[in-house]
Amino acid sequence: MVEYAAKKALQMFVTVLGVVTLVFFTLRLIPGDAASAMAGDTLSGEALERLRAQLGLDEPLPLQYLGYLQSLALGDLGETITTRIPIADLLFRALPITLSIALATIVVAVLLSIPLGTLAAFMVHKGRRWLDNALTGAAMLIDLMPPFWTALVLLLIFSLGLGWFPASGQLNWNDPGSVALRLALPVIVLSLSQVATLARITRTAVLDVLNEDYVRTARSLGWSELRVLFRHALKNAALPIATVVGLSFGNLLGGTVIVEFIFTIPGVGNLLITGINSRDYQLVQTLIVVYALIFVLINFSTDLIYRALDPRVKF
Amino acid sequence: MTGKFHKLLGMGMTALVALSMSTAIAPSAMAQEKTLTIRFYDDPAGFDPANIFRIENENIAFNIFSGLTTYDGETGEIVPDLATSWETTDNKTWTFKLREGVQFQKGYGEMTAADVIYSFNRIKDPQTASPYAAELEGIVSMEAPDPYTLIIELDAPNGNFLHTVANYHQGQIVSQKAIEEAADQVRWQPVGTGPYYLDSIDVSSRIVLKRHEDYYKGPAPIETLVFNIIKDEATATIALRNGEVDLMMRANQEENLATLEAAGFTMNSVMDYAVALMVLNTEFEPFADPRVRQAVAHAVDFEAISQAIAPSLQQAYHSMLMPWMAVYTDDIPKYTYDPERAQALLEEAGYPDGFTFKNLSTSAQGVTEVQQFQIDYLSQVGINMEMELVDTPTFNQRRNAGEFDTATRLLPAVNPDMILFSFLHPDNLVPNGLNGARYDNPEVTSLLEAARAEPDADTALDLYTQVQQIVAGDLPYIPMYANNVYWPGKPEVTGVHINYLAQVDFWSVDITE
Repeated sequence: MVEYAAKKALQMFVTVLGVVTLVFFTLRLIPGDAASAMAGDTLSGEALERLRAQLGLDEPLPLQYLGYLQSLALGDLGETITTRIPIADLLFRALPITLSIALATIVVAVLLSIPLGTLAAFMVHKGRRWLDNALTGAAMLIDLMPPFWTALVLLLIFSLGLGWFPASGQLNWNDPGSVALRLALPVIVLSLSQVATLARITRTAVLDVLNEDYVRTARSLGWSELRVLFRHALKNAALPIATVVGLSFGNLLGGTVIVEFIFTIPGVGNLLITGINSRDYQLVQTLIVVYALIFVLINFSTDLIYRALDPRVKF
Repeated sequence: MTGKFHKLLGMGMTALVALSMSTAIAPSAMAQEKTLTIRFYDDPAGFDPANIFRIENENIAFNIFSGLTTYDGETGEIVPDLATSWETTDNKTWTFKLREGVQFQKGYGEMTAADVIYSFNRIKDPQTASPYAAELEGIVSMEAPDPYTLIIELDAPNGNFLHTVANYHQGQIVSQKAIEEAADQVRWQPVGTGPYYLDSIDVSSRIVLKRHEDYYKGPAPIETLVFNIIKDEATATIALRNGEVDLMMRANQEENLATLEAAGFTMNSVMDYAVALMVLNTEFEPFADPRVRQAVAHAVDFEAISQAIAPSLQQAYHSMLMPWMAVYTDDIPKYTYDPERAQALLEEAGYPDGFTFKNLSTSAQGVTEVQQFQIDYLSQVGINMEMELVDTPTFNQRRNAGEFDTATRLLPAVNPDMILFSFLHPDNLVPNGLNGARYDNPEVTSLLEAARAEPDADTALDLYTQVQQIVAGDLPYIPMYANNVYWPGKPEVTGVHINYLAQVDFWSVDITE
């Protein structure tokens, strides 16, 4: 196990270093830089060059890269180019918000999709397909709706129409109730597509298991349907489901970018959009490294959970 | 089970009662404390006047700082601010009389001529690396014979110097002590003499301004201004209709305007705030011929396009200057929709079958409806307009470098002399300046230089008129439409006057019951 963890850690290090390098250089391949993004309609010529020098954008690229690696190694995330705010400060505020949304979404999605998917599989197994059909139809419909559109529709209904949730406003952590109200719609938007995916995966996985010999054996022993379903079927179907939940969490981080923008939530996604629009290399590359780290850590823990669920899995 | 339920119910009821009591007490305490919540549409990037870029940040800075002069919210005229009066005989030596007893915010003391000298020198100092240094380059010396008198000597006459010292970028007055104390955090700790001071910033979320109690005109009616950052306009509209914000900075979608107006919101606005120009690169061969440029202007019916797409937000326009500017003239050639005339001009210029050009544009907006119409109109006289879409920073970079056949530019509506000089003088050809058309007409150049130096207002006006007439004939830039700016708000929010820099002086804003 220790050897496994060490091997994994090395893999993680190489992956993150690769991401750092790739992001650093591709960002700079894109035309336009922070200076021209800031200048907009007003600056050109000498004034623009002066600004570029002031922002440190005129230094040779290899020097910038080495400097960046060095500061990362020292745990210094640096400052944004355009606002000179320490990025660690920004992350300290934004990351808990984004992770709360992602975690809440996963919890909601798992709580809804696993019973739904299991039930659908069970009914299909019994020859009653209506729930399965309804589920497949709803899942297709949800997949067709882009999240920004769903977000706006939900805003119109629940915020403007019914007045249940606010469309804007500060996240005041001293008032958890208000934070919950503020984050509810983004979580619903993100959960919708997660539920659709997870329920279908669960349904397929459970259905596969229900046709296995050992389930038939269990049933022939006179066990109740529920016991068969939960003790045997679901437990054995958990493996593929856990993998998908892990992957979903990674994908969710991408989804938060859109909902944070629309619901004006000051999370990491919002920072990322700001960084990209203002070509704030420092901010964007650091955020992407953070995303990569989270992703890698999730994969790592998924692997561990995998092993816990199925001791036969060898590393 | 029932016992537990009752206990829970009891707790809930107690909480409800407590809540209703607290809301019952709240209104009387709120009555004195007025707070206005404004939708802000971008992230704050700092408020150091030497380094402000985005107009959104300028909106905040405009209320924190003051200049020697400022712009009237309704007429756009230059009016006194920190200077009560000024004199010049030759546009070279300017003597300002400063207002006495003006206080800096946060207890930084009285503002005097020494602060003005410090502020301008700070912009000019290469160490500051201010992009606005060039605006003050003409200053040779500054003297303060007493704390309330300032004499500024320029290297050449500049009849538009009052624009330079207005409450905008380089003209905003800072306190030396505050700047030195803030060190590298100036952008987040601004101290000025304006009606509001910066209280707190929550990045990506909100900016809070508090009333400056010692403001020289007296304290503003509203104690607290909360700028809520809401980038998406649809969300902002819902927030306004929900009552989460009282005032919405900049509504840019035609359909939202109609909805909000129908819902009873006050449509605070400023008309003709700036003009959108089609920049024709005269180094691209067909556009080297003024007849081709005129043909393009005659071929597109901008009037019909504006009417069809955004009748509230824009209208067809014919000049590089706006009607409210002091040197504006209406007596210039205009180009009405006339495809036959366009065709004839193209034939005269040697392009009877038209030609193809590429229009550089940002992918942020995609191909706009205006551009789709433009493509269609131009194709009817044989001109093929192709779209080249790039992201905004790339667009800015290529436009600043002059790498395009045509591009669009929104003229900053500030100083008419600055506009004409930047866009028409050969010293400012891209990439050195904003003259993206690469327009170089020696006659216009000498007229521009003479106009700037001319101390007599009437003679200067005559020179500027000649410039506008020649340029409207040469047409290196085609004025497409003038833009309007809207800040829809609740009807009880009064005194919102958007000036021609699209800024609001919150000192005049109030909430009525």
